[in-house]
Amino acid sequence: MSLLTHILGWPLLAALLLAFVPRNFRFLTRLIALAATFTSAVLAVVMFVKFDTAAATEYQFVEKLPWVASLGINYHVGVDGLNVGLVLMGALVAFAACCCAWEVQEREKEFYILLLAMTGGILGAFASLDVFFLYFFHELALVPTFIMIGVWGRGEEKDYATFKITLYLSIGALLALIGLLALYLQMPEGKRTFDLVSMTEHFRGKAMDGSAQQFIFPLLLFGFGILVSLWPFHTWAPLGYGSAPTPTAMLHAGVLKKFGLYGLIRIALPMMPEGAAMWMQWLALLCLGNIIYCGLVAMKQKDLNLLIGNSSVAHMGFVFLGIASLNVLGVTGAVLVMIAHGFLAALSFGLSGYLYQQTKTLEMEKLGGLLRQMPFFGAALVMAAMAGCGLPGFANFAGEALVFFGAWTEFRVVTIIAVWGALVIGAVYMLRAVRNVLHGSLPEQWHAVKDVATPWRRLPFALLLGALLLFGFYPALLTRKIEPVVKQIVKDARAVLKPSVTVGVKNLSE
Amino acid sequence: MNTHALPWFILFLPLVAAAVIALFTQRNKTASAALSIAAVLTSFVLSVVLFTKLSAETLPDPETFNLPWLHVGNLYIDFGIKLDQLSLLMLLVVTGVGSAIHIYSFGYMQEDRGFSRYFASLSLFTFSMLGIVLAANFVQMFIFWELVGLSSYLLIGHWFERPSAAEACKKAFLTNRVGDFGFLLGILLVWSTLDSINFGTLADTLKANPAALGGAATAAGLLIFCGCVGKSAQFPLHVWLPDAMEGPTPVSALIHAATMVAAGVYMLCRVFFLFTPDALMVIAWIGGITALLAALMAVQQSDIKRILAYSTLSQLGYMVMAVGLSGPAPAMYHLSTHAFFKALLFLGAGSVIHALHHEQDIWKMGGLKAKLPITFATFLLATLALCGVPPLSGYFSKDEILALALGNNKALFAIAVFVAMLTTFYMFRLVFVAFTGPAKSQARDHAHESPPVMTWPLVFLAALTAVAGFVGIKERYISVLGKPTLGNHNVAVAFGLGAFAIGLIAAWTLYRKALSDPIPAVSPGVASLLRNKFYFDELYAKLIACTQGALATVVDWFDRWIIAWLVVRGTHGTTELTGMALRLLQTGNLQTYAFVLVAGVVVLLYVVLG
Repeated sequence: MSLLTHILGWPLLAALLLAFVPRNFRFLTRLIALAATFTSAVLAVVMFVKFDTAAATEYQFVEKLPWVASLGINYHVGVDGLNVGLVLMGALVAFAACCCAWEVQEREKEFYILLLAMTGGILGAFASLDVFFLYFFHELALVPTFIMIGVWGRGEEKDYATFKITLYLSIGALLALIGLLALYLQMPEGKRTFDLVSMTEHFRGKAMDGSAQQFIFPLLLFGFGILVSLWPFHTWAPLGYGSAPTPTAMLHAGVLKKFGLYGLIRIALPMMPEGAAMWMQWLALLCLGNIIYCGLVAMKQKDLNLLIGNSSVAHMGFVFLGIASLNVLGVTGAVLVMIAHGFLAALSFGLSGYLYQQTKTLEMEKLGGLLRQMPFFGAALVMAAMAGCGLPGFANFAGEALVFFGAWTEFRVVTIIAVWGALVIGAVYMLRAVRNVLHGSLPEQWHAVKDVATPWRRLPFALLLGALLLFGFYPALLTRKIEPVVKQIVKDARAVLKPSVTVGVKNLSE
Repeated sequence: MNTHALPWFILFLPLVAAAVIALFTQRNKTASAALSIAAVLTSFVLSVVLFTKLSAETLPDPETFNLPWLHVGNLYIDFGIKLDQLSLLMLLVVTGVGSAIHIYSFGYMQEDRGFSRYFASLSLFTFSMLGIVLAANFVQMFIFWELVGLSSYLLIGHWFERPSAAEACKKAFLTNRVGDFGFLLGILLVWSTLDSINFGTLADTLKANPAALGGAATAAGLLIFCGCVGKSAQFPLHVWLPDAMEGPTPVSALIHAATMVAAGVYMLCRVFFLFTPDALMVIAWIGGITALLAALMAVQQSDIKRILAYSTLSQLGYMVMAVGLSGPAPAMYHLSTHAFFKALLFLGAGSVIHALHHEQDIWKMGGLKAKLPITFATFLLATLALCGVPPLSGYFSKDEILALALGNNKALFAIAVFVAMLTTFYMFRLVFVAFTGPAKSQARDHAHESPPVMTWPLVFLAALTAVAGFVGIKERYISVLGKPTLGNHNVAVAFGLGAFAIGLIAAWTLYRKALSDPIPAVSPGVASLLRNKFYFDELYAKLIACTQGALATVVDWFDRWIIAWLVVRGTHGTTELTGMALRLLQTGNLQTYAFVLVAGVVVLLYVVLG
């Protein structure tokens, strides 16, 4: 079996196994979950190291098993330069999230089953080369999210948050599904298949009908967009993350949310160049909604989790901007930001979750001066804040810089505004969080809070920080793999972008 | 050792020290300090070795020092080392002054609870600053530029429990970020027009075709200059520097006198080839205005460190003005000498503050001359150097700038001379009130001279201050930056010394025996205007509140009530009825919803494919 099948299979197998573990075997439950996610993380690292960068455009670690031959559905997994980093990020974040799950004290068995199903689903969605399985795995990860927020969530608005996130994400997923099925139907009868590779090949050879593209592209753009909290369909995100149990927020904000972006880059751009040419200029404007609007909203938040949630929505704007620029620099940068933000969002939510366990509140006015009491936590939070406002040394900087260089040649005014959002607005709310939570004098009631003391508890944070620093110091580890694939995708997506259209794109923004 | 490897050691040793301290020696004060001091001292020694080995003729080709860092599409970002007389001298200044300050800190911070954290940040800062000095391209410089911002944030906020320090570090970082906004846009503009970010390539391109930047030339230059306005605290982004005095005093000496704020000027000199005459004109006037405003503000401050902070602003204004007047060599010359004597002044102030148990108000000092002899002697020497008294180093470098202004722009020359007069006035006000005048509080009686670990760095810097005018620094800068057109040398000297005399006499008359400041009594309006720094902070607070702040409030309200509440809950309300009907059929729990979702998928598949 391919390494990939192992990576996504172990968590799913463990979920199945847990079903047979008695409820009161709490240690064993946790051990199985940790062992499964750890195995899949280690295997993901092995895969990443073994990945042949010279052949980044080819699918590696491929496994293909026919499933429903009449409909052209196969279990088909594989990674090229585009998703190898995403699978690695997903597996590492899943392990970190599992480590942070110690805060769940009731109905642990069910929680871990859902967490493992979610993990397997996410990794499966990123690894699948079959549109049916891609979607199926995504649903497999999505549904547990709702249940986990509903059952193990926190805060007064928990129920409303569950309702809202379910409503939004289901609609988003449904729109995307309609789009994907429509894509399938665009293949000539007899040749119809859900195989992503064959579909891309087919539409590369014979372009899809223009009117079909105009219909399908927005379905995918907004369907996937809602899943990624594209402005103005973003309001589920801060609230949902604020109410979610820590591991769920880490996995969803970090990994699952990137699925929509991955779908856009992998499916929508190369198959529907005409749709892309028409819609990318609008995406460039919408992304400002994420970067500026949500950034400003983040500035006004009084709750740390809502601040992080809004900032995570704002960060998606950079990915959208990179995609919208539709050139090698921008899209490569977008993928880099996706990976970096996966680590960062998981780190931020992991930290805020830890703090919540200590203080039972994340209201920033009530906190303060915690750096003295919690040096490890404080240092990690400062680093997360700095990574969040694009400080060099963390992977986010490299990604955002590439996005800006890419977007600068396409949408100048939009880029100027986005740079303001990245350098100034981002710094304002991140530093405000540090100021209110860590700096200043320590209120009396927090004299007893405990720092992240044991190596075991520190592990998830150290792991995520280490990944951010590693790819920040040497982003070429990722870009060398991503760039060749992006080149091909951009070439496909720009197939119809005639010079006149390019001018149109520029005119809109200048 | 291979000279090619030396710059890498110089650069990365402090980073290694910072990492080791942060990860392993947090609990061991001595080990932390030893690591940090050893790193910067080794870097200093290696810089000296490098400096002596590389004479102007045998400088290796900078291109050979490039390592690919991030190559994507048509963007090539290398990690390079740029070695020429400019960076070599700057290396010496940064590591030399840095070493003195590191050692001094060992004494000054002895009692501090965050001792190891302090040295880790100090080493991180040194690394970042050396990175700026050695950077070979714009993005690399921007990276270290940001890292300097981070480490200064950490150092200014070292005493983060004090609200004032917590606000000051935030303000410093954010103000710098505003400047960096322009800087990054400038980099993007230069890159998209000339297709390179490499200093060497850009210089060659512009040499071959001075009009290569086309219409974007002035804009690009001014955007790049924004970076300098932030980092070197030029008007209108000067507001962060005085507040940054909340950091420990050695930090002020290191980053707000000798290194960080000098980075802006250094960067201007590094990319001097980019600037058009129009851009240079703006740069010169911004520098002149900063010099004047800051000198005026310094006149009415009573905090010893703040007086020095405004003085730093003012001197930086001189340097920026010199660059704007096409004189990068005089600017760098003044930068180097200023680094020595301003670091000395700050460390001297630190010695006073240390002796008086953290008293910083000069109106509570007085009579310290006898109590702190070494501190007083070195402080006076540095003051004289700052005021441009021969034969100290400040005299030569300041004279160079005055002559440059005389030769190029008479209005700026007048400002420069007036600022020189003000400089003498406020510095001797400080000396008279704090050191020689009558004692104004009991604190003085308990004061005693600082330990040798603090006084030796003072003596070392005093020696540098005294001799730096005679060791050929100027010639070396000219060899790489070109000879500027100067005005009549003797006229400049006459005006400079005249300004010194007037300032000294004024300060002598007003402050020699003063127990409180006489100026507010004479002219309360002017005094409060100066003391409140022309109300820039208040103005900016208002400006931010009614622009970005107001926008954020509106957007937040809109998000909370329109998008999140009205639209979503409204839809919720209308679907409520449907929901009620459905509830008869369903249990209403989430598992069911989830089931329905999956069932829906199956049904849809069936309908479409069936």
